Amino acid sequence: MSGIKLTGVSKSFGAVKVIHDVDIEIQQGEFAVFVGPSGCGKSTLLRMIAGLEETTGGQIRIDTEDVTRREASKRGVAMVFQSYALYPHLSVFDNMAFSLSIARRPKAEIDAKVRAAADILRLGDYLSHKPSQLSGGQRQRVAIGRAIVREPRVFLFDEPLSNLDAELRVKMRMEIARLHRQIGATMIYVTHDQVEAMTLADKIVVLKAGVVQQVGEPLELYRNPDNMFVAGFIGSPGMNFLKARVMSAAAGRLVVELEDAPGVPFDVPGTAGVPLGKGIFLGVRPEHIALGEREGSVPLKATAEFIEELGGTGYLHALTATGAEMTVECRGEERPHPKQAIRLSLDPKEMFAFSERGERLR
Amino acid sequence: MLMKEGRSKALAAVLMIAPFVITYRTVFAYPVYKMFALSFTDAPLIGEGRWVGFDNYAKLLNQKLFFTSVWNTGYFVVLTVVPNTLIGLGLALMVVRLKGWLQSLVLVLFFLPYILPVSVVTQIWEWVLDQQFGIAQYLIEFFTGRRISVFRDPIWAMPMVALVTIWWTNGFNLLLFIAGLRNIPADYYEAATLDGATRWQCFQRITWPLIWPVTALVLTLQLILQLKIFDQVYLMTEGGPFNSTYVLLQLVYREAFRLNHGGLGSAVAVFLFLIIVTVSVLQYQLLRVRGR
Repeated sequence: MSGIKLTGVSKSFGAVKVIHDVDIEIQQGEFAVFVGPSGCGKSTLLRMIAGLEETTGGQIRIDTEDVTRREASKRGVAMVFQSYALYPHLSVFDNMAFSLSIARRPKAEIDAKVRAAADILRLGDYLSHKPSQLSGGQRQRVAIGRAIVREPRVFLFDEPLSNLDAELRVKMRMEIARLHRQIGATMIYVTHDQVEAMTLADKIVVLKAGVVQQVGEPLELYRNPDNMFVAGFIGSPGMNFLKARVMSAAAGRLVVELEDAPGVPFDVPGTAGVPLGKGIFLGVRPEHIALGEREGSVPLKATAEFIEELGGTGYLHALTATGAEMTVECRGEERPHPKQAIRLSLDPKEMFAFSERGERLR
Repeated sequence: MLMKEGRSKALAAVLMIAPFVITYRTVFAYPVYKMFALSFTDAPLIGEGRWVGFDNYAKLLNQKLFFTSVWNTGYFVVLTVVPNTLIGLGLALMVVRLKGWLQSLVLVLFFLPYILPVSVVTQIWEWVLDQQFGIAQYLIEFFTGRRISVFRDPIWAMPMVALVTIWWTNGFNLLLFIAGLRNIPADYYEAATLDGATRWQCFQRITWPLIWPVTALVLTLQLILQLKIFDQVYLMTEGGPFNSTYVLLQLVYREAFRLNHGGLGSAVAVFLFLIIVTVSVLQYQLLRVRGR
């Protein structure tokens, strides 16, 4: 069983610590996605699992074997690089056969394995082509093919779609998902694109500045974020955050008042013991805000700024009286004009409370 | 109107290429034409001569020194072109592994000889190899059991001229190779490492094929440069001992400037010119085809 377990894994470059005591467990056959903004250490973590980057502290286990200090080639992992790393002087066939040919495998075996991988990836007609004669998507498939041929225990993908245009990216995303279903191998995928993470992952690991923020299934992260960072990062467009004050607290609920809507107390789930009168943040997703006034909702006045029109839906960007930026999902026909004064209704059942330091108040 | 505009565009184009055309004509095309023309006359160094047809070429074929020079030039090319290229590549592979300022420092140290004038280079090596007090004599003595006056020994002279040439010019090749090696993305090596490639396999399957265009260029530049060998030989051995380092360009110098045989000197020059053009074009084409 090719599960992966990271225990207290850390990495320093000199005095600078870039990965802080990471603990993650990925089950056999799981599709795990490391997601986070640029420079959060997700690629470094992936390269540490691959063995391309030395691990400063902690332990990496694949199949219960400790591989922390093992050479990259002996870990049983294959990696698809962001740049694809295809050898320009070799044909598609030779690129895919590279690992087998340096291991001096018999020709018949190489041929069979490369052709089998090419069939999976629909590359059969291109085996004699050079990488320069292929499109971006085809190159990407060759890079994946090179990994498949090795029959690794774990597939690692380092932002594999970031060099493709938007349309192709969606297509390749589907192909990778299909591939995962087809071969059922353990895969770790690094991306900064939370949409990719949400659509592909069985398990998402959100990283920020080398620290794991939360690990969980996509919907779990969406519905139950541990902190403001995860809440803001997962979901597109991101969650809105509004300043509020705690009026009273009892039995796991907080009675709060928005700074932008004083005199309208309402209750949200939250820890008792938060000092009264203390400032907190309330998070609400664009899809849980409605235009106009609704029964049982928290009313909020704002000014429309502009609309990102997507056809079926539109995203209204608005400013509240205190200058907080809001994004509101508009379905149906209604679209306010820029500078128009509007009324919004926030659903208190869909709100998340966060402390001033950004921790979730449950 | 349209024609007027076209004419002024043409005029501008002519004006812009004129400096090149005039310079090229004056300092290259005309002298080359003159060299060919003179080789069919009995002209002295200065002034015109009488048409003698292929007499100069026939004379050359009866001159032993001509064949000695052709042989020695070839020998020098063999001693320098491939070794110089391989040494440059080998050093580049080592230097490129160094990081930051250390790489720059080592690169500068290797490149330094290249900026020295030939007279300084030969003077340095005459000292280094001097039979009486040359530091290299300890090494020579260690291997041969005696001190050797290398520039006066017909067996040692040409290899030593080659050695000095390699020391002098290698920095430039090193620089070209470093530039080539830096163009190979690190990803290629990482992907190969993950696939289990050894360092030798990485070199054989990635570095060598990808650096091949630079290697072909260096080999061709070296070939052209070394076929024109003159300065080092002239300064260190003057073609001796016993003509063992006499090369083609030196024969041109001897015939034209020492013996006042402008026509015969030109014939040798034409011969060298044709060798260089043929061999270098041929070599570059062959290397390019191989690299595909």
